[in-house]
Amino acid sequence: MSDPVSLTTDRPGQVATPTPPAPGRSRWLSDRRLAVAFIAPALLLLLAMSVFPLLWALYLSFTDYSATRGGPAHFVWFENYTAILTSAQVHTRALTTLIYVVGAVTLQTVLGFTIAYLISRRTHGRGLLTTLFLVPMMLSPVVVGLFWRFMLDAQFGVINSMLGSIGLGQVEWLTQQRTALISLIVVDTWQWTPFIMLIALAGLTAVPKYLYEAASIDRASEWFRFRTITLPLVWPLLLIAVLFRAIEAFRLFDLVYILTNGGPGVSTETLSFHVYKVAFLGFNTGTASAYGILMVLVVIVLTQLYLRYLNKLKED
Amino acid sequence: MAVSIDEAVSPGPVRDHTAPAPRRGGRGRSVLELALLVVLAAVMLFPALWMLETSIKENRDVYAIPAKFFDFTVTLDHFRDVFVAPGGGRSAVSVSFLNSVVVAGVSTLLATVLGVPAAWAYSRFSVKAKKDQLFFILSTRFMPPVVVVIPIFLMYRQVGLIDSKLGLILIYAAFNVPFTIWMMKGFVDEVPPEYEDAAMLDGYTRLQAFWKFTLPLLVPGIAATAVFALIFSWNEFVFAIFLTSSDDVRTAPPAIAGLIGGTTVDWGLVAAASVVFALPVLIFAYLVRKHLVAGVTLGAVRR
Amino acid sequence: MRHPKRTGRISVAGRKVQLATAAMLLLATTVAACGGDGQDDDAKASAPKAPATIPELTKDPLTLSFIWFEWPPAKALEAFANEEYKKQRPNATIKVNTVPNANWHDAMFTQFAARKTDFDVAILDSQHIGEAVTNGNILDLTDFVKQNIDVKAYNPYLLAAYGQYPQAETGKRDENASLYGLPLLGDTWTMIYRKDLIGDKPPQTWDEMISAAAKCQADNPGVSGLAFHQANGSDAAAVTYNTVNGVYGGNLWDAKTRKIDGVVNDAAGQEAMDVLVNKMKPLTAKGSGNWFIDEVNAAVAQGKACIAFNWIAASGGLLDPKESTLGKTREQILDKLGFATLPAQKTNLVPLGGMGMHVSAYSSAANQAEALNFMKWFEQPDIQKKWAAAGGVPSRTDALESSEFLNAGPFNKVYADSVPRMRDMWNVPEYARLVDIENTNVNAALNGAKKPKEALDDIAKEQQSVLDSSGRKGGGGL
Repeated sequence: MSDPVSLTTDRPGQVATPTPPAPGRSRWLSDRRLAVAFIAPALLLLLAMSVFPLLWALYLSFTDYSATRGGPAHFVWFENYTAILTSAQVHTRALTTLIYVVGAVTLQTVLGFTIAYLISRRTHGRGLLTTLFLVPMMLSPVVVGLFWRFMLDAQFGVINSMLGSIGLGQVEWLTQQRTALISLIVVDTWQWTPFIMLIALAGLTAVPKYLYEAASIDRASEWFRFRTITLPLVWPLLLIAVLFRAIEAFRLFDLVYILTNGGPGVSTETLSFHVYKVAFLGFNTGTASAYGILMVLVVIVLTQLYLRYLNKLKED
Repeated sequence: MAVSIDEAVSPGPVRDHTAPAPRRGGRGRSVLELALLVVLAAVMLFPALWMLETSIKENRDVYAIPAKFFDFTVTLDHFRDVFVAPGGGRSAVSVSFLNSVVVAGVSTLLATVLGVPAAWAYSRFSVKAKKDQLFFILSTRFMPPVVVVIPIFLMYRQVGLIDSKLGLILIYAAFNVPFTIWMMKGFVDEVPPEYEDAAMLDGYTRLQAFWKFTLPLLVPGIAATAVFALIFSWNEFVFAIFLTSSDDVRTAPPAIAGLIGGTTVDWGLVAAASVVFALPVLIFAYLVRKHLVAGVTLGAVRR
Repeated sequence: MRHPKRTGRISVAGRKVQLATAAMLLLATTVAACGGDGQDDDAKASAPKAPATIPELTKDPLTLSFIWFEWPPAKALEAFANEEYKKQRPNATIKVNTVPNANWHDAMFTQFAARKTDFDVAILDSQHIGEAVTNGNILDLTDFVKQNIDVKAYNPYLLAAYGQYPQAETGKRDENASLYGLPLLGDTWTMIYRKDLIGDKPPQTWDEMISAAAKCQADNPGVSGLAFHQANGSDAAAVTYNTVNGVYGGNLWDAKTRKIDGVVNDAAGQEAMDVLVNKMKPLTAKGSGNWFIDEVNAAVAQGKACIAFNWIAASGGLLDPKESTLGKTREQILDKLGFATLPAQKTNLVPLGGMGMHVSAYSSAANQAEALNFMKWFEQPDIQKKWAAAGGVPSRTDALESSEFLNAGPFNKVYADSVPRMRDMWNVPEYARLVDIENTNVNAALNGAKKPKEALDDIAKEQQSVLDSSGRKGGGGL
């Protein structure tokens, strides 16, 4: 990105077009102003709506402030943080979130990649198939949550009805500890498998065909071709999709809110859901802010990983 | 690595002439693969179809055990109930649809107006620590909404934006600007800067060159980007439920969620409202199918 | 990157200036915002008083807004008020905003926290009063009530339950305590039973009820013995446990010493939890562990429950032939469905439901005056009778005993008979957290995620720590 030449000479225009220096200089100046004028409004909005709120939350996280009780905020410094990090309640939610993120992302990666691979091997109807597979991803989490709640209903839900007609018993999908978490993973997988599929498909179609042709001349086995040609070429893109999904899954709130409301008991409460309870049930704003900041730290780590791979991909 | 959904969707190069020597059982395997695909597609599509079916069933059939797949009476009553209140007049859900149109529309417009010029500037000019800035911009989009909503709530209460459409519009715009910048930067990169240089040699200023020559070429990209921003704002739930409460501000997602949890649940109505709510999204998504990969990765992955 | 760098050294300095400016701007806003915050909070530390007499009302068009959750009484109130109140105040329009039940507390208290409400009258759950009063969110109506409301016309307990703070959960009205609200809608649980399956006579004791349900379930395949609230949202599972706890002679807490641990999980409390989880839960439908008002109603309407418990104010839909498979007319349905007061066991306590009207401290003076006028109007004897006929549950004794009320629904007599038997939960500012702890733990016990005893002990321990946490530094709310 850095170009040492540009530091020593005023190079106004683009690559090969040499322009006279005088107009170039004035244009260069106006370009700078233009850049500021064009970028500043967007950055200001982000500063006001993303950075400033986070800084405020950071400040509150060191206090015992409550949004409803009022009164001035007292500094408690790291008390909120130590309380959160040592709380068994928080550990439970962290474990739930971890199981959920790992389970959902693994499942949708395997499924999404399989579907993409199958589609990529077809000659006809690929456009139609892809479009059909993409429907779930476009729906609002509210619609997805509500509808799966209806379908998973133990009494009149269509899933149990179908299980019944093939002679299996009723399953309490949303009200048993294990099945509730599994249901959450299944619903998330249903919605987001298309995401992985889409990106994997993009990777698969980009594999140059001469590589396969070379391999088929060598009479390499199908599995060998997949392992040595397809996978290495698709992997970087797939990794980005996986990280993206992991970040999204880590933030999950709406699906839990609608599908299980965290139940039974608190067994499907994710970290996001717990933050919500701390923030809006007791209005312990200080604690909730500290909790939120800790979540943001995790997100930042994941995002850094994501951005690093993205960068790598772009440079290749 | 050159990838676009265009290639992914159209019959691509991979399979075309790759297997000249049919292997043993090649045909049988192909059939097996097709069958597997059809089954998977059926599983993925079933919930959406079931939603559609539930929306046109009478309530007694909705709750029937075992579930009725084919023999039920078709009714459009639920769709009427989505728009018309029981006592006549407009229903609360239909008002929320209008609110959603306003909030999603204006926030998208705002994000586009702010994001497109910024994307152009990032693409054309060298800005200090450009890469860092761009990555910072994208990372703001990844903040957990539940966390952001706490300080946003406190901020809004200072300036009186709680329970207002403007409040929702601003926060949605803030979540859409990073996406717009990333997505649009890709489109701007594709337009050769030489066009602008040539125009400037003809005596246009840089701004005029952007306005007259580059911008028209960006219109399809802007449309695609705006559609994705629109879909995000349209579907958003967390900010909507915590920052709004009154009927004349509430958007559709919390309003639809509010259909359950009363004294009776009318699943037919929930299904009909969901169908009405999801239909525009599906149509829009179909229109921008060429840009889906970039769209769903917030413009990060394109080529 | 396709474009070579174009900036020179000058830009670095320029950008630093910009960055510094942005940072200063940010800092200034933070200080301003936080500073403003403090002043704001100090100014409103306690509940402001409403005037004793109603100020002069405006002649301009005015919309009086309420906030409630989404259920039929909300619609009934809006229709009734616009029909009747307009006769006295033609320029006033009543609007009842509704939110999903699960979001009810949050929707009201986030607005209270915002110091700006889109409603003039909050319809608070009786246990929300403590939180609202402590934070100064609603007006102190004591003087207003003295001047304008005939308190003798009420059962003193109802007046206390829907308006008084501080208040004990089974307390009598304390004449010296302040009032912050007036009754809007009374409510309690009714037992709904299938006359065609278990006989015309309702079970009298909790034990009888359980064995009748068990027998009915055994005799009628596909019909479950019981249906009741088990969900972990709102106050669903908590009210269920509290009810059984009361019936088996338990207590939720000792209000004087603020002791929960050792009280709610005493022998009576343990027995109640055991009855609920080991005797009642096995008689419910599979997967009913997330049921609340609507699912219980659906089970009854579909003929899938022998005995069910539900709030009276939410039971009107059961008599609607369009929603029911039990009969083609209201009469046919009533041949099969009976409504009775709850069975007694060691005590005859029943849960107090219903809500009062409270005036938002943040609405305009004109709207507050209108709200007071509305409340005075609403509590008149003839209006209360009309409200009863329109589907509401009044609180004035004369209205409760009126034929308008008793004839409006088969469950209304149940309510009238239940009034002397009511018990509420803790009415403390920490209510929302207490009820969430109880909800999630009872729900966990009902669904096998925790052992009953373990769940009850966790409730006691966690609730106690919420009550005791006021002096603790940091980590509140976990």
